Amino acid sequence: MSREYIRFSRNQRLQHIFMFVPFIILVLTGFPIKFPESTFWTMVFSVIGGIDTARVIHRFSAAVMILDFGFHIFYIFYNTIIKRAPFSKLYLLPNMKDARDIYQNLKYFLFISEERPKFHKFSYIEKFDYWAVFWGMFIMAGSGLVLWFPEEVSRLLPGVVIQIAYIAHSDEALLAFLAIIIWHFYNVHFNPRVWPANMVWFKGTLTEEEMEHEHPLELEEIKAKEKASS
Amino acid sequence: MPAMIYKHSFVLILGIFLSISQTGMGQQADAENCYLCHGLATLGISAEGNSFRSFEVSSKAYQHSTHRNVICRDCHTDITQFPHPEEPEKVDCSKSCHITKPFALTGYSHFDQSETHAISAHGYNPEHTAAMNASKPECKYCHNNTFRNVIEEDVLSENSTHCTRCHEDEGLAGVILHVSSHSGHRTAAASVKVVALCSSCHGNQSYMRDFDINLTQVAGYENHFHGKALKRGLDEVANCMDCHRNHLNLPADDPNSSTHPNNIQMTCSANTYCHSDATPKFAAAAIHSKPTMKNNPVLFYTEWGFIILTAGVMALLFAHILLDFGRWVGDIMLGRKK
Repeated sequence: MSREYIRFSRNQRLQHIFMFVPFIILVLTGFPIKFPESTFWTMVFSVIGGIDTARVIHRFSAAVMILDFGFHIFYIFYNTIIKRAPFSKLYLLPNMKDARDIYQNLKYFLFISEERPKFHKFSYIEKFDYWAVFWGMFIMAGSGLVLWFPEEVSRLLPGVVIQIAYIAHSDEALLAFLAIIIWHFYNVHFNPRVWPANMVWFKGTLTEEEMEHEHPLELEEIKAKEKASS
Repeated sequence: MPAMIYKHSFVLILGIFLSISQTGMGQQADAENCYLCHGLATLGISAEGNSFRSFEVSSKAYQHSTHRNVICRDCHTDITQFPHPEEPEKVDCSKSCHITKPFALTGYSHFDQSETHAISAHGYNPEHTAAMNASKPECKYCHNNTFRNVIEEDVLSENSTHCTRCHEDEGLAGVILHVSSHSGHRTAAASVKVVALCSSCHGNQSYMRDFDINLTQVAGYENHFHGKALKRGLDEVANCMDCHRNHLNLPADDPNSSTHPNNIQMTCSANTYCHSDATPKFAAAAIHSKPTMKNNPVLFYTEWGFIILTAGVMALLFAHILLDFGRWVGDIMLGRKK
């Protein structure tokens, strides 16, 4: 049996679950209102119990998701500022290597090069996923709260903010939904090299082969460190 | 066993009682026996072409209508003899009939509503051409009173949710108020039907062209939360009449209009179940005009910004997926991989 490498801690895996379960519920309870004439979303609504129920479920799920995101911000803050993890350990920050990796990957895709880019802990694809959710959370939660409490918001901000929130909530929801079911699902499910699913979100570990293939630079670093300490 | 008989005979007696009372109602409205002729399905004349213009009045439909206790000649006042003229005058809703108002002894009439309608945007305007004035909706255009149509059974249940949002807990006082201030804001149709009725003209370019009315309002309503939620059956959201009034429909630049900038806050907060906390800033948000570069540049660019962002991001992601998949397929075709 090959060695397993920890990729996501239990805490991190739970953060992912508390993000995607509300996400699915929010899509199912929100899109029928975005597309009021669609037959498919009408069927979804008939299962949920119509708009009265959906509005309650939507707001409850939103609260769970916002709390999860809030916890994540605290989690990062705690680990970097309080526990003083080195800045260089923030593997998710975009850097120049990502640009070089994109260039190398394009060459690989087009048969110009036979060499896949070597990724560290997070590839540019994974970094994009992370920051897309980061941006999306601010847009969706911000606009959602404005639409949840429009009268209160209008005490402080001009009325046009409510209208902007309405457009932003509806349009960013579509972008997030498409990005998840097309981009994220391709990378973790439908990609023939991954199919049927990348189970790391559940197991939290990768095998030696998976590490060699997906995160060779990280593996190198781990091995080098082990050698130095032994 | 005897209990069963009692139960059955009770149902039987109730049935007889109901059938008598039904007949009684019909006779009351038709005290002058107009159904003798107008109850005949074949009564009518051949009109142009092969069409048949029926003069039948469905007693079933009429007995379920608002006017079931009003005798025919209360409205058809010009009919004084039998047989009556071939083309009687059109009914004038502002005339009073033999029904008395609750707590008053005067004859009931729709005079007040008729007067309000006359000064509204739907009333006669001397600056408009005769054709334009004739094309505006009068009472009967919106208050469809065609007794030949059998009324829809579900109308009442559809109405009730919209009414009971306000009239739920008012008790006896509410009932008295409701009966005596009949004309306040009573809607004869469910919200979806109100929107459909208003949209049938306001969403039609050929109808609106002469009046210089912005056509995007209907689409704007349908694209906004009120319109979408209504389509999904949330009956508490505002329909056209909730903000634009039922009879005093006036353009927003008229100081008496419910949608005039000075009054709009009152309109949003008028009903407790609507936006009772509406602030002036809240009310200032134009909720169903299509944003253009001129009238609302902030929204216009927000809308386009998101369209470009979504299309751009998805195009890039999709291209990346296709390239990635292409490399995998290519490898198989070249026999390099399993």
